[in-house]
Amino acid sequence: MTAEFEEAPGSAPISRRSFLGVAATAGAGAALDGIMTSTSRAATHEPSQAAPAAYYGGPDPKIPKVGLRWAFSATVFFADRVMINSITSPSGRGYTSVGGGEIWGPRLQGRVLPASGADYYKTTFNTYYMFEASDGAPIFIHNRGTMRRFQARPEPGQPLLPPTDPQSAGWTRFRATPVFTAPVGPHDWMNRTVFVADAKRQSNPDHTVFTYYEVI
Amino acid sequence: MRDFVVPKTDTKVIGEVRLEYAFQLTAHYDPARVSQTPKGSFRYQDIASGEIRGERFNATVYPDSGGQYDTVRPDKIRDVDAHFMLKADNGEWVYMEHVGYRRPDGYYRTIAYVEADTKGAYDWLNNTTFVVTAQESSDQREVVFHYFVAN
Repeated sequence: MTAEFEEAPGSAPISRRSFLGVAATAGAGAALDGIMTSTSRAATHEPSQAAPAAYYGGPDPKIPKVGLRWAFSATVFFADRVMINSITSPSGRGYTSVGGGEIWGPRLQGRVLPASGADYYKTTFNTYYMFEASDGAPIFIHNRGTMRRFQARPEPGQPLLPPTDPQSAGWTRFRATPVFTAPVGPHDWMNRTVFVADAKRQSNPDHTVFTYYEVI
Repeated sequence: MRDFVVPKTDTKVIGEVRLEYAFQLTAHYDPARVSQTPKGSFRYQDIASGEIRGERFNATVYPDSGGQYDTVRPDKIRDVDAHFMLKADNGEWVYMEHVGYRRPDGYYRTIAYVEADTKGAYDWLNNTTFVVTAQESSDQREVVFHYFVAN
């Protein structure tokens, strides 16, 4: 695996890793609010607000590089968790409703529209609900993905192995791949960008923190 | 509409995603058949053949097992929706789906969802999220897809 780091236009010279490290070790929401999610700062949706990108290539230098750049995060709180037995899915048909939540990060701020949808999963998750951006724009999210769990803190350079105990607290991360439908206007970039997310389940209360990356 | 008070949490942490190169698919398509629909131009392209080469996965596209069922939107972005079958080097069947965007500026990225036999040699594909970048030939008949595992 190769990764190269690029400075975001207009940002201070800081590598993505140290940037993430600072943000992550700051830990408390207060610190992050101060750095990245100030609601007092008007959202301009300009790339200058974007986080630095990391680029990945292959063993052959002719393989084109693909970049990931943190776009925004969503903290989503769940309400009901229901399962009905299904003839088409060994995991049944699920209903995990979205209570509400918050969207924070460089390129999108706002909230999860309360009670706007759910994960109607069958084996793999399949979630439909709404964001409401800070400018009032309704943004539809259709989120898909497997429930392959990842270790909370992978060893650098080592592949992530499947969990030995899926119930243990260390295996609460998974990947999500959303498709957004945003109105024409400042959020239109979401209609033409592929995203991949890290998702981390949390309890007390039941919520998941999604870190959305633009694929560039 | 119901109201919701966001609880205070200390979980505002940025989760990491890293990409690891996995394999490449060189796919050959028949010419596109384009028709006008209320949503834009529907673009069907039959996948005639293809080969996957990589350290952990080698396969061929099962001929005429599907293709691309894309929509070119009024803003010229192509919504990519591809479905086809593969035969792995050991004979096992694998289903592959792509969802993403091809833009006039050359951006061609998708997510790939892959389903393999859970009792077979390629079960690892099942629970893996792939990020894909693609390069299309000028006649759009050959597309090279590069697959990265989202770790």
